[in-house]
Amino acid sequence: MKKLLNSHEFVVFLILMIISIVIGFRNPLFFSASTLFDIVRGSIVYCIMGLGVLMVLISGNVDISFVAIAAMTSYSTHMLLLGLGYNGGIGLYLVVSIVFGLLAGLLMAFIVNQFDLPIFYVSLGYQTLWYGFNLFFIGRAMNFNLPEGLVGYYSRFLIKVKDPVAGETGLHVSVVYLLIIAIFVWWLLKYTTFGRGLYAMGGNREVAIRAGFNVKRITYLMLALSGALAAVAGVIQGAYSRSFNPVLFMGQDLDVIAAVVIGGAAITGGRGSVVGTILGVLLIQVLNRGLIFLGVSAEWQKMVVGLVLIIFISIPAIAEQRQGRLKYFPMGKEK
Amino acid sequence: MNEELLRVEHISKYFAGVRALDDVSFNINRGEVRGLVGENGSGKSTMIKIIAGVYEPDKGDIYINGNHYKRLTPIISIREGIQVIYQDFSLFPNLTVAENIGINRVISKGGRVVNWKEVYESAKEGLSRVGADIPLDAITGELPTADRQIIAIARALLEDARLIIMDEPTTALTQLEIQHLFKTINDLKKRGISILFVSHKLNEVKEISDSILIFRDGKKVLDQEAEELDIKTMEYYMTGRQIDTSSIAYSEPEEAPPLLKVENLTLRPCFSNVSFELKSREVLGITGLLGSGRTELALSLFGELPAESGEIWLEGKKVFIKRVQDAMEQEIGYVPEDRIKEGLFLEQSISNNLVVTIIDWLASKMGIIRNQTKLKTAEEWVSKLEIKTPSVENPANSLSGGNQQRVVLAKWLAGNPKILILNGPTVGVDVGSKAAIHELIRNLAKQGMGIILISDDIPELMQTCNRILLMRDGRIVKEFRREETNEEELHRHLVAAKN
Repeated sequence: MKKLLNSHEFVVFLILMIISIVIGFRNPLFFSASTLFDIVRGSIVYCIMGLGVLMVLISGNVDISFVAIAAMTSYSTHMLLLGLGYNGGIGLYLVVSIVFGLLAGLLMAFIVNQFDLPIFYVSLGYQTLWYGFNLFFIGRAMNFNLPEGLVGYYSRFLIKVKDPVAGETGLHVSVVYLLIIAIFVWWLLKYTTFGRGLYAMGGNREVAIRAGFNVKRITYLMLALSGALAAVAGVIQGAYSRSFNPVLFMGQDLDVIAAVVIGGAAITGGRGSVVGTILGVLLIQVLNRGLIFLGVSAEWQKMVVGLVLIIFISIPAIAEQRQGRLKYFPMGKEK
Repeated sequence: MNEELLRVEHISKYFAGVRALDDVSFNINRGEVRGLVGENGSGKSTMIKIIAGVYEPDKGDIYINGNHYKRLTPIISIREGIQVIYQDFSLFPNLTVAENIGINRVISKGGRVVNWKEVYESAKEGLSRVGADIPLDAITGELPTADRQIIAIARALLEDARLIIMDEPTTALTQLEIQHLFKTINDLKKRGISILFVSHKLNEVKEISDSILIFRDGKKVLDQEAEELDIKTMEYYMTGRQIDTSSIAYSEPEEAPPLLKVENLTLRPCFSNVSFELKSREVLGITGLLGSGRTELALSLFGELPAESGEIWLEGKKVFIKRVQDAMEQEIGYVPEDRIKEGLFLEQSISNNLVVTIIDWLASKMGIIRNQTKLKTAEEWVSKLEIKTPSVENPANSLSGGNQQRVVLAKWLAGNPKILILNGPTVGVDVGSKAAIHELIRNLAKQGMGIILISDDIPELMQTCNRILLMRDGRIVKEFRREETNEEELHRHLVAAKN
């Protein structure tokens, strides 16, 4: 119990609650099912991408190319299936884009492993590469032609509510994907040698190799999974917005990484959790929407979110500093 | 008991034409504790790595449990029951104790799924084999060094280790923790597990080992029962020369007003009401167990952990030291423990290393550093400290261990402090370099500097200090004059300070 209360995730949860309550007091409209569902829907794609980012961060790496992989996989899948005259639903979209995502991740891992490069360096180029690939080979414009199966996907709800302002809204079906993915990633991280290998690599890469973890294989699997998750996020985003965009998520790479870091993942590796990642994404979404409810202008919103990020990144640093200081007080431990 | 576990015969190893090991043979029996000593670069580490399967020998044969190998791989070595505990213990700081001990078993079985119950059970088993009790859910990085070492040993035992190689195992331990480690080693020995104990600390090697190997310049120069050896002989074989530690021409402190006077200095809970004086030309030792407040006191004097109350007087003038910059202004220098070990930019030139602390002074008003000035300053220090190098432009890693240590010291001396605080200046340093550093300390005192030497190495204190203060629970409990005490008395008081 004490461990739970001390956990970073609990702190994020608490702050999330406090912010929600404060916003709700200022504007009671915030406390409504439609707002809640709206926030959840807005969070789903970022959570899915965030879980891929989480694995990479835990392993002690940073990857910024996942946004471009999301764009490439979803846009290519869409254009491909459209060209083939596909008329079904999201199922085949997901399957095809996941295959693209896995391949893109594997190719990146191949480059990383072959030349023993930090993932971050490779991802700098890899991001531009895939956006460029989209624009040059696939198409330069957003595409609004949807197959029949995807028409109306954006309003397919599990639970429907009537809202006086927003009309009919509800809990979007894609939340099921997120749940499945979240449980899967949680299981991977906690119960597989792959998952523990990620933590081990992030803790001390040399030692992980000495302990017998197959670091290269872990890198392949990690980047392939991260690519697949980005692909899923890309397709869902396209279905939401009823259009497929060759430069989808461009410039949002750091926002996602920031949300994962707010959720307690260490940018230096070795730490992070699924629950924390989801809470981190939710916190940013609540802040963004809540500030609208408070009537804060868009310019200010950016600043507030930036400040929150800095505060959250400082928390572990302050904690570490305190621990570092504690080293000077070893007597305290003995007594 | 005398069954042979490991035998190496005529092992030679070259690195880019440089000979690291030259025709080395020895054996280790079951349940035997073998000490291995040698200076830096004597081939100890190379030998460890060959036995661990990390390096291939160029010549020679290895026999483990009667199996003959021309070369080993890490996997074969582990399967034959050889476990190396490196200085960093090879642990994951971010993971729990249970996982650090238990995860290897999961990996070595090639499993894809982690059964946490099994991990916890094997961790418990591992710890019980060492006879230690450490909370399994603790985060490893937050534990004291001694506990982390226990974790590393527990993990080795779980791998059914028959030979545990310990590389400098006592470097980061206190006297008391060392005694615990020795007890653990003796327990392991009783169960037929062999230990190769690799260390710089000759008295410890002699205490724990059944027999001792000494390497010098890649050759085995001595292989003898520990009982038949004394420290002097070991030093002789290690360095190839007689080291004179008996005659200490230390300087008589001046009878002038003290250089430094500290009155009732307090920083709770680290230390309280600490008062002492330091004269010019004096070496004052401060000793005590880890956690006695000795390091914190030094950091207070250096402004890194400013004291809450109490007074500091410098040459009769009251001063306030609230920041590191204050201390530097008052010409107080501090050489922390890890600086000696890691304080060099090895790839950089000696001159660059030497001037790094005074780089501001060398720069012109425009912030440009004149190469000429830099070289001149560097050459000055090289000759002052007798650093043996053909040119100050050579990289620091071209120097021998002892000379590297001098560069580190010189770096701090270049600021020309009146008071120099040295924290564990010879931790992890081999005998030859150690003697050189001691001589340097005495020479600096002779030239008028006041030196505070923090150490729990009793021979070191006896060889360099005029007076020795003993700290316990943040207080100075006793003062010894060097000529009125001896090593046994000091050791007794130091260890007794625990209870």
